[in-house]
Amino acid sequence: MSLTIAANAETNCRQAGSEPVLKVSGLGLRYPNGKQALTDAALEVNRGEFVVILGSNGSGKSSMLRCIVRLLEPTSGTITVARQDMIRLQGRSLRKARMSIGVVGQHANLVRRRSVVANVVCGALARHNSWRTALGMMPSSEMGPALECLEHVGLADLARQRAGTLSGGQAQRVAVARALAQRPQLMLADEPVASLDPEAANDVMKLLRRLAEEGLAVMCVLHQPDLARRYADRVIGLSGGRVTFETKASSISATDIDQLYGKQAA
Amino acid sequence: MSVMQANMRDPVGERSLATTLRNFVLTALVLIIIGQAAVFSGANLPELVTGAAGIADIVVRSMPPAFNKLPDLVWPTIETIDVAIFGTVVGVILSIPVAVLAARNVTPARPLYYITRGMVSFLRSVPELVWALIFVAAVGLGPFAGALALIFHSVGMLGRLFAEVIEDMDMGPVEALTLTGATRTQVFTHAVIPGVLPALLGMSLYRFDENLRSSVLLGFVGAGGIGFELLTSMNLFDYREVSVIVLVILVLVIGAERGSAFLRRRIF
Repeated sequence: MSLTIAANAETNCRQAGSEPVLKVSGLGLRYPNGKQALTDAALEVNRGEFVVILGSNGSGKSSMLRCIVRLLEPTSGTITVARQDMIRLQGRSLRKARMSIGVVGQHANLVRRRSVVANVVCGALARHNSWRTALGMMPSSEMGPALECLEHVGLADLARQRAGTLSGGQAQRVAVARALAQRPQLMLADEPVASLDPEAANDVMKLLRRLAEEGLAVMCVLHQPDLARRYADRVIGLSGGRVTFETKASSISATDIDQLYGKQAA
Repeated sequence: MSVMQANMRDPVGERSLATTLRNFVLTALVLIIIGQAAVFSGANLPELVTGAAGIADIVVRSMPPAFNKLPDLVWPTIETIDVAIFGTVVGVILSIPVAVLAARNVTPARPLYYITRGMVSFLRSVPELVWALIFVAAVGLGPFAGALALIFHSVGMLGRLFAEVIEDMDMGPVEALTLTGATRTQVFTHAVIPGVLPALLGMSLYRFDENLRSSVLLGFVGAGGIGFELLTSMNLFDYREVSVIVLVILVLVIGAERGSAFLRRRIF
């Protein structure tokens, strides 16, 4: 599976040249209630890079993520994912673009009554005819790759188990496997370890790190500076909807953290 | 003022005059409502005592039940069960798209939401017996009129219940599949349906249980089945046959109740 991800990423890289997989510039978002959530935010994520966004509650981290996948409509700026202008896309072309972005949320959001592998196969739905899959006719060719995705996250032995029986950490890894089944170029994770114990949190972070090393562009929203230091290549700080700093994870300072969370967090 | 302060001022929980007066007026109002209900519904204890002799006479005349009539009741019983099955199955099938339109979180357009909500309210507010009278006039005497009545009323009931299940479901998987690039149809079949199916099946089984009881009653207005046989026997004062029909209905209703409860337990 790592070979498959590397091969996909390689192909994507050739297609995209040396351009970043994700490029956000001048991004602004104002909610209907008048609250300015993002102001002139800009960032880039390259192939094989693991970028962590840090920021306190309400700093605009999740809003930015939701703008990238167009769950929220930005009021200004541009978002480019693998050379596709996300802002202009509508309907079928937006769905196609979303296929190239794997998203893992704070909760795994699995269909609890279905098996683990059935949940993973759902990641590949968009590649197939809508009505055929609606009637439950998923091509058998998708089963092998889905099992490979599960193997990649270390849960192949749980493939036939009901998703509702998994622990939080396992469920989150299945969510990563479902995102991998999309064959994405960019992986977005929105506080993926928020509801996990430290051991499970480290497992998920190691997995995301490994995906980046295999060639995916990974952007992860976090609240834990220590996890960012340990796993990320680059850290971007967001405060009041603005990017306040951008630095290598190894050189993130206590002042940077103070700036985001106050003195007690550093 | 803290609770302790209040207790110190009113250590034995004495009520103010206003509270006592309010409670008195409320009690008087409740008693007036119950009293007028008894008067206007013609409640009459002496008549009940006089009627007890008549009831005892009917019980005596219905014994022993005419079990030799059982073979004649097989077909009407099957007809009653079939009316309930057909009415429930078609009602459930029609209720699913109706519920999708009537659920605030998945309806494709807000006007459709209001139209379908209004429609299910109307279908639900007309009693099954009234629907049966309308359909007996429209399609003639027989079980089809009963089945149509059950379908209409079931869509009214289940349309609303299903819509509420959809509104209360976990939207996480729906958002997750939407973000994979799946179409609305795929999201509906792979996230919405698996999420709400157990609740929908449970409600459908409960509805079958209700519809079976209703299909017995619908026979009284000419919609066939064992209810029609019961009405005929009562009109002919054949109380021994009435008693055996009542026994069959009892077995039917208890059987359906137990069966649907068993299946609901298996689903959840």
